[in-house]
Amino acid sequence: MEGLAPLLQNITGGLLIGGIYALIGVGLSLIFGVMRVINFAHGEFVAIGMYLAIALFADLGLDPYVSLLIALPAGLVAGWLIQRVVLARLIDAPGDSTLLVTLGLSLVIANALFLLFGAEPKSIYLPYATATVDVAGIRLPVAQLIAGAITVGVITLLWLVLNRTEIGRAVRATAQNRLGAELVGVNTRQVHALVFGLGMALAMAAGVILAPLLFAIPTVGSSYTLKAFVVTVLGGLGSVPGAIGGGLLLGVVEFLGASYLSSGYRDAYGLFAFLLVLLFRPQGLFGRETKRV
Amino acid sequence: MTYLRLGLVAIAGLAWFIFLPDYRTLGINLMLLAGWATAWDLLGGWSGQTSLGHAAFVGLGAYTIAVTSTRWDLAPWWGALLAMALAAALALLWGKLTFRLRGSYFVLASIAVAEILRLVAINERQLTGGAIGLFIFDLKEPFGLDLFDRGVEFWVALGYLGLVLVVAAFVTRGRLGYQMRAVREDEPSAEAAGINPEAVKLWAFAISGGLTALGGCLYGIVLSALQPQPLFEIHLSVRIALVAIIGGRGTLFGPLVGAALITVAAELFRNVFAEANLLIYGALIVVVVLFAPSGMLGELQRWMVRRRYARSAQG
Repeated sequence: MEGLAPLLQNITGGLLIGGIYALIGVGLSLIFGVMRVINFAHGEFVAIGMYLAIALFADLGLDPYVSLLIALPAGLVAGWLIQRVVLARLIDAPGDSTLLVTLGLSLVIANALFLLFGAEPKSIYLPYATATVDVAGIRLPVAQLIAGAITVGVITLLWLVLNRTEIGRAVRATAQNRLGAELVGVNTRQVHALVFGLGMALAMAAGVILAPLLFAIPTVGSSYTLKAFVVTVLGGLGSVPGAIGGGLLLGVVEFLGASYLSSGYRDAYGLFAFLLVLLFRPQGLFGRETKRV
Repeated sequence: MTYLRLGLVAIAGLAWFIFLPDYRTLGINLMLLAGWATAWDLLGGWSGQTSLGHAAFVGLGAYTIAVTSTRWDLAPWWGALLAMALAAALALLWGKLTFRLRGSYFVLASIAVAEILRLVAINERQLTGGAIGLFIFDLKEPFGLDLFDRGVEFWVALGYLGLVLVVAAFVTRGRLGYQMRAVREDEPSAEAAGINPEAVKLWAFAISGGLTALGGCLYGIVLSALQPQPLFEIHLSVRIALVAIIGGRGTLFGPLVGAALITVAAELFRNVFAEANLLIYGALIVVVVLFAPSGMLGELQRWMVRRRYARSAQG
């Protein structure tokens, strides 16, 4: 534990895993920002991505980084369908009904994964991905480097879609003011479906990237739902850049907390931070104070 | 009317005891779940504060009874009293911190608090035995009754459910009950009418938490072997909340109806659904929220009211 190297090792490890948290959190935050829906099934979407990659690898021998090209459009379509069939009925429903429906969906998905794949942990073994690279005394697993690169790529793509296309403009308009967007001709129902699809695609992409890194069990989703909430609340619910910052922060906090304080409480550090931010800075760590009527 | 229904619940319990001696464990689980859901409903239904962290109170109750009876050699009733006091104190602290959060934020905070308590139960080994857990092997016998006997446990569980229902009936019909509903429907208006919303919610939470912990004590004795995993798990919190919502939030007997329907259905179709337990819960909650948002008993009540109006309009 002497010198700077272990610290840097922890920080880079945290940043790389934090990038994946960011990818998950961005989708959740986007869904909340546009639809005002707290998506309790978000972690289960990650689990679907993991199992999709595992199934494609086991049956077709497909490299998980190739199955990303299947997971992204599949997530888009599945999310679009879920929104149109279920959530669209609840757009103006009172209180926590969308929250309860997504909670129900999460139970259905976790149980379906269990029925399809069984309870034993599954993973993907990639010989080339278990290798490590030395950069200035810091060991970096190849799989995590690839994960980091893909995360950056996917988030850049999302940023381009949101800020450089007409669809992105419609999404941002709906997030700012749904009625206003409708008045200038935005089909907000399509936008909602699209955003839910995008969120699901991002979560599934994160799942595909995670598949070679750790073991998947059918209930893995709920822990990622919690992490996604932590990430988005840290960054301010509804803010996409905030979710990226929150994800990276959570990754680093977990790594540092686990190695310098107590590894048993690894998952608790994020939750503590989550509660503190929720109570004292509900607009998020990076958000400006706004008054909502 | 309420007393008549309470009597019916007691008779149903008696009939279960006599005619279904092989299903007493199922009956105990049903009554515990119904008691928790009714207690949850005081906060979640009547006061409109959805909590997905009530497993924390179940765990707190079970662990308190285990620690007090095996380490401090206290009688279980003192342990139960202590558990309720601790749970009420926890609820007050928890509510004081998080009641400023509205809607979904409160739900998220309740999950976070319960998860932190679960991690504490796993990691604080001196107190809780860590992941291995605690065992209850010896209990003082109240009135010479062996609390490890399933028959005795059945009666205690029925008594617990009855107590929760009576307390809930008493609370919701009284002044506090009206205040709870006022806060649920419109908090600023309630405040304008001279109600202190925070105090009302804190009362509801403390009563709800205390009653849940009392059921947790009994659950701890029924299990005898406590582990943090099933007791503090978010799935238990979710189950408690969903049962109440499916039966009907803000109705006295809705949570009991929900618990009875789901427990009995799961047992009847055990061969088919043994591994699809959560699937049923999940699908049911989606269907209920989409098509019967007031829950089963709530929709029934609304239907009956509509029919009465239709009759009086005709006549």
